[in-house]
Amino acid sequence: MTIISRGSVALAASLTLLAVAGCSGGSDDKGQATDELTVMAPLFGTAPDPGGELQQAVEKLIGKKLKVTWVPNAEYGDKSNVTLASDKLPDVMVTNEKGSSFVKAAEAGAFWDLTGKLDKYPNLKPANEQIAKNSTTNGKTYGIYRVRPLLRSGIVIRKDWLAKVGLKEPRTVDELRAVAKAFTEQDPDGNGKKDTYGLIIPKWPGGYSSASPYDVIETWFGAPNAWGERDGKLVPGFDTPEFLAANKWLRGWVQEGLVNPDFATLDTGNWNNPFVQGKGGMIIDVNVRATQLLDLFKEKSPKDFDKVTLVGNLERSDGKKFSYPFTGYNMVMAISKQRIRTEEQLDQVLQTLDKLQSKEGSVLLTNGIEGRNFKVEGEFAVPINQDDPKVKTIQNDVDKGFIQLGTRASVGMGAYRLKPADEASRAMRDKFDVLMNEDLKTAVFNPAQGVLAPTATAKSQTLDTIIPDARIKYLSGAITEDQLKEQIKRWYDAGGTQVAQEVNDLVAKVGG
Amino acid sequence: MATDLVPEVAPPAAKVSRRAPAPKRRRRTRPLWQDLLRYRWLYLLLLPGLVYFLVFKYLPMYGLSIAFKDYVPFLGYSGSEWVGLKHFQELFTGPDFGRLMGNTMLLALLTIVFVFPAPIVVALLLNELRVNVVKRSVQSLIYIPHFLSWTIVASLTYLLFSVDFGVIANWIHGLVGGQKTDYVAQADWFRPLIVAQLLWKQTGWGTIIYLAALAGVDSQLYEAARVDGAGRWRQFWHITLPSIAPTVVIMAILTSGNLLDSGFEQIWLMTTSLNRDVADVFDTFVYSIGITQGAFSYATAVGLFKGLVGVVLIFGSNFLAKRLGQRGLF
Repeated sequence: MTIISRGSVALAASLTLLAVAGCSGGSDDKGQATDELTVMAPLFGTAPDPGGELQQAVEKLIGKKLKVTWVPNAEYGDKSNVTLASDKLPDVMVTNEKGSSFVKAAEAGAFWDLTGKLDKYPNLKPANEQIAKNSTTNGKTYGIYRVRPLLRSGIVIRKDWLAKVGLKEPRTVDELRAVAKAFTEQDPDGNGKKDTYGLIIPKWPGGYSSASPYDVIETWFGAPNAWGERDGKLVPGFDTPEFLAANKWLRGWVQEGLVNPDFATLDTGNWNNPFVQGKGGMIIDVNVRATQLLDLFKEKSPKDFDKVTLVGNLERSDGKKFSYPFTGYNMVMAISKQRIRTEEQLDQVLQTLDKLQSKEGSVLLTNGIEGRNFKVEGEFAVPINQDDPKVKTIQNDVDKGFIQLGTRASVGMGAYRLKPADEASRAMRDKFDVLMNEDLKTAVFNPAQGVLAPTATAKSQTLDTIIPDARIKYLSGAITEDQLKEQIKRWYDAGGTQVAQEVNDLVAKVGG
Repeated sequence: MATDLVPEVAPPAAKVSRRAPAPKRRRRTRPLWQDLLRYRWLYLLLLPGLVYFLVFKYLPMYGLSIAFKDYVPFLGYSGSEWVGLKHFQELFTGPDFGRLMGNTMLLALLTIVFVFPAPIVVALLLNELRVNVVKRSVQSLIYIPHFLSWTIVASLTYLLFSVDFGVIANWIHGLVGGQKTDYVAQADWFRPLIVAQLLWKQTGWGTIIYLAALAGVDSQLYEAARVDGAGRWRQFWHITLPSIAPTVVIMAILTSGNLLDSGFEQIWLMTTSLNRDVADVFDTFVYSIGITQGAFSYATAVGLFKGLVGVVLIFGSNFLAKRLGQRGLF
């Protein structure tokens, strides 16, 4: 008898313990939200020290304790979904405002609808109406957008190879092809062997219309950016003759060996390798890759590294130009209702965020602590004391973590621009803005950027992979053009027809 | 659980049975609590295991209820709306089901045909080895791949078979000539690669249990057979094989329950745009829709379906084993 009771007591005790442990995580005291702000944000390296100098400086500025959950960027999407499924939402969460699990949670009331609520706060009020519109979800603002340069697409080319084969920087798609052909066949590395290729493309992790090299090339050919008007109706970009023309063209590249043969499997993390190793001569990606590659060459041979040049979007054969713009932001900061329950508490949080995004806060988030890790020189920030390990920590905390908390100033748009270390980098940086302003004139925007079709969310597991997979198969030669068209039809049959209808209706209702 | 475990860990049971049958009968009529009292220490030993199963295996099953709901985390388990069999209907009538089932089953079949017998064959071969040192070192060497994670195995495969710089791929190309084959990307090569990886990684480790079974065979049997004039082959056929048959059957039944577990990591890492049509299995599907896309209810429904198929397979193969005159698992 005693044993039974002892046993059941133990069992009961352990179960109770578990239950207690399970509960304590979720329902925190209401009052706690006022002196502490919990945030979840992506991380691009070593996590900042929670007691570090930079964090202390930020906490001092906003007058609150800051508790940031840093999640490595590669697993940010997965971790967000798991967090949304748990009962431990942070106060402020950096999130994709059109991700299906976020939208479901937001529509169920897990996050504040900030539509019209931000104008009171000078540093949270959208600085650009178009971007603000892009970052809405079917007419609702669920978060404060994190600003990014509006146009970042470009082609990075080996400068020394260009000189070797005697070609100038391409301005049209035909010239680009000529460069790729010369890079493949005219032995630009001068080792006497035909072991190079023109263009390097990796296994792209995103779906259709995710700023992949394919999306950019399709835009040059005049295909819509994700959605475009044809005969008075919005159609998906891949259901256009321009899409087919662009891919037919690129398929020719693959067949002629102008593209790296492992373009279906090359990991994006290794994208730079063939370029730096001298196997391939071009990369179509965001412009910052040019400076990245320049730095890599500099590391390799500090004396002779000026081997990279950047070219903007290209003209079609008939001289018309279409450029691929970006959305002008990357994810938004949403505010959860779990701990921020009342309008007053929301106001407090927004005030705190407003302080964080002020000029002073932006400097902290994107540059660091003035006089510690950088000094101001006109419009530039110049790194100082970089040999001091403590200063190094501040610099790391800025670059790998805190810069992700900026919504007004952020990656590529720091409060102060970093002063380039050498002439080549400076010229490259200057080129960014010149090319951007030039290409923005011909930018093809996505008219449906702000809407999210319910069917696209519900059937995403089926729909999302059809087009990108078919595109790769077509490019690799595994399927014919007719089979590619069949796959496009399959997309419509699997729910795409509904998606197109909904997108048209929603755009008519809320405006892109 | 309780009744299963007690005779196994309780030496007194053996003592009891050797005595007269009378106390046995008395035992049967004794109420449960007296049993509990009598074997209290054994039950106490059982408790942690029981708690483990309750807390980590049975309590979470409560979450399975979301397969029948439209689960929204913010509303919680109880707050989410009941939708009955909607998600199952969606699964069975959806465009993915046939492909997923086909791929999963085909991989399972390949596993049964190629991967399952491999350790048995290797164990039998090892058993025939005379020199102990060779046997031991071979054994140790073939265990090693088991300790590498799938990530490493997949990276190695890419390194060796990549069309651009793969060592083995280039070597084969040098031998065969013709156009370069992209082994890691092409759909046709997906299944052979998966099976090859499984063989390389798991065969050595799998031999352990069969080697143990082989070590347990009574050597007197072999001596008697030799006296009767049986050769090596006869001994193998009439002694070795029947001796390990029960182990093989048990392993087969256990494997059948996991047949639909296609090894998520391995397949996920080997999937590309070109081979997705043959690579998508239930496990990767559940991951994509559940974790990547946050459709928790649908993912749970798919997982539950997979679990049910597993249960059916286990009972089915157990039944089959008994019909074939072997001892089943239960």
